[in-house]
Amino acid sequence: MDVLINLLHGLVNIFTPLNFAVMVIGLVIGMLVAVLPGLTLVMGVVLALPFTYKMGVEPALVLLTAMYVSGTYGGAITSILFRIPGEPMDVPLLWDGYAMTRRGQAAKALGYSLMAALIGGLLSAVVMVALSEPVAKVALSFSSPEFFAITAFGLASVVALGGGSLVNALISLCVGLLIATVGVDAIYGAERLAFGIPFLQDGIEFLLVMVGAYGIGEVLTRLHSGFVADGRGTGTSGAARFKTAFPRLAELLAIKGSFARGTATGIAVGIVPGAGATVSAFVAYGIESQFTSKSRSGYKLGDGAPEGIVAAKSAATASVGGALVPLLTMGIPGSGATAIMLAAFLLHGIQPGPQVFISSTALIYTVFAAVFIGVIGMCILGYFAIKPLCKVLDAPEAVVSAFVVVFCFIGAFAARSNLSDLYVIAIFGIVGFLFERFKFPIAPLVLGTILGPLTENAFMTTMVSFNNDWTVFFTRPISGTILVISIIGLTFPFLRTMWGRWRAQRERA
Amino acid sequence: MKGRLRLALPYAVLLIAAALLYYATTLIDTPRSGGARLGPDFWPKLIVAAMAVLCIYEIGKRLIVGSTRDARGLTAGLAEAPLEAEGEPVVSEWTPAQPLDNRKLLAGVALIAAFVFGVAYVGFFIGTALFLASFSWIGGYRRPLSVVLISSVGAFVLVVIFMRIAYVSMPLGVGPFQHVSTLLLRLLGV
Repeated sequence: MDVLINLLHGLVNIFTPLNFAVMVIGLVIGMLVAVLPGLTLVMGVVLALPFTYKMGVEPALVLLTAMYVSGTYGGAITSILFRIPGEPMDVPLLWDGYAMTRRGQAAKALGYSLMAALIGGLLSAVVMVALSEPVAKVALSFSSPEFFAITAFGLASVVALGGGSLVNALISLCVGLLIATVGVDAIYGAERLAFGIPFLQDGIEFLLVMVGAYGIGEVLTRLHSGFVADGRGTGTSGAARFKTAFPRLAELLAIKGSFARGTATGIAVGIVPGAGATVSAFVAYGIESQFTSKSRSGYKLGDGAPEGIVAAKSAATASVGGALVPLLTMGIPGSGATAIMLAAFLLHGIQPGPQVFISSTALIYTVFAAVFIGVIGMCILGYFAIKPLCKVLDAPEAVVSAFVVVFCFIGAFAARSNLSDLYVIAIFGIVGFLFERFKFPIAPLVLGTILGPLTENAFMTTMVSFNNDWTVFFTRPISGTILVISIIGLTFPFLRTMWGRWRAQRERA
Repeated sequence: MKGRLRLALPYAVLLIAAALLYYATTLIDTPRSGGARLGPDFWPKLIVAAMAVLCIYEIGKRLIVGSTRDARGLTAGLAEAPLEAEGEPVVSEWTPAQPLDNRKLLAGVALIAAFVFGVAYVGFFIGTALFLASFSWIGGYRRPLSVVLISSVGAFVLVVIFMRIAYVSMPLGVGPFQHVSTLLLRLLGV
């Protein structure tokens, strides 16, 4: 009952003038970012973060939540209509969605996508509210070994869940953790790795690393591989005739299994740190392909089956609620965008975790309410905004990217009015580009920078409390279980590769 | 052999960096607490050591064994499109189709460096306008009139939003550039 009352208060909070205004702005910007060439959802949230510095923590989180929610939908429109996925999570949509468009069923495909986003988003928001307090209560009993295990699990899963080289991801993580050690140590007050340089003695702000690596690094990567010079105007002029047509209730009920599987997958995968909307969408599509070889509409999955659209889109939007659970209950981000939201909390002096449910209940339930209202607002915007969104595709990527770089610099400078921050983000922009170029993933670097201090603090506190007895991490049941799962997650890909090599040798012999 | 060396190069660079950083961690002031407690140097040393071990593993694998096969993360292979019934491949638009352009990249990096170092001298408005124009041009947007218009109007809008409305104190520049910035701000009522 308390939960419902708190949620009601949160909903009332959302409709205050300032919060509602930033909600609307966030929904629009999130959807634009998902469609604009050269911008990704995570980049957009990163760029918005420095500007929330001067806001209160509540409007800041409402803005970022709204951007996060609507950013999971915007790219679906261009993916279905023009075979241009706005985000990696929209690639499964073009397999079936674009195929439906080729058959003259674009409006229906958009309708399925919208309903999937609505149902997946709302259901995951309900699960998020239901799960958070119980999980937070369990987390209240955690001590430093458990916090170390949880942060280590978060770092391990962002490494293990990548699609590229595991060793490169681990190296990237090490670099991020090292960056977090620069400056003055929190326990002893000793200066570390500052080399006598004044701005390094204050430490390297994770905000600068994020903005540099995700913002400028991504722009340099795309510059290197070639921008689309004059926008993707080809074929988008036909957007005027596209609209959304909602499927009939009978059609929705006929594929209720796809909705259920997609949503459940999105929530479950979203909860796992490092997974996010893209992994959720692909995993859900993969699961759907096991259940649906041929759609009730007569089409195979991948050839214009609505089930493919529904599974991927419901999972992508449902992952938002899932990713917020570990963030709000334990301070472990479940996705790239929630890593940015963690940064927003920290910027305002709040460490998300179980204590926040006690000390800032109103704030937490305002974030919950922002997800509910954001999902509904996203669907309303998605229904009416097709034409202007498609027009945005015509924006030349070179010009958009130039503005992105300037926004990165403004964001970095606005926080401390310190010119040396510009040098730092430029350096990390080049680092981000080099990492991408040599296939070192950025996500572990950024998460290592954000979670590094927490992880070190939990580790060192445990060592001090338990007289350097490292076995305590494995003898305590909760931390032991979590660490074993982390180790399995990290070693399984190596074992899988060795097994594959052994089998190939056997077959040759 | 050249190919193997090229593949091992990034890891060699990182290994050298790890060695230098390890040396730097030995210079960290550690408290004299009877040797029982882990000092402030323990955590960075642990990370640097882990990084070095990973780099040595990759260098050994690529140079000695000559293998480039990597253990991939758990989501490797997820992004494969289903078989197309009609045989037409579905191409996702974000995979780059053009060859890599090192000149554009170097020009972009140079522009960013020029902006970062030059904005304190030329001021935010002029620096931003020049940057927007140059970067758009280098990026391949070759419509001179549009470039001039977008960069000057864009820079002006950014000054209005951040210096007039949000009161962020951006650099004004020096000498004549400072005069231009001050004049613009006076016109905007700041």
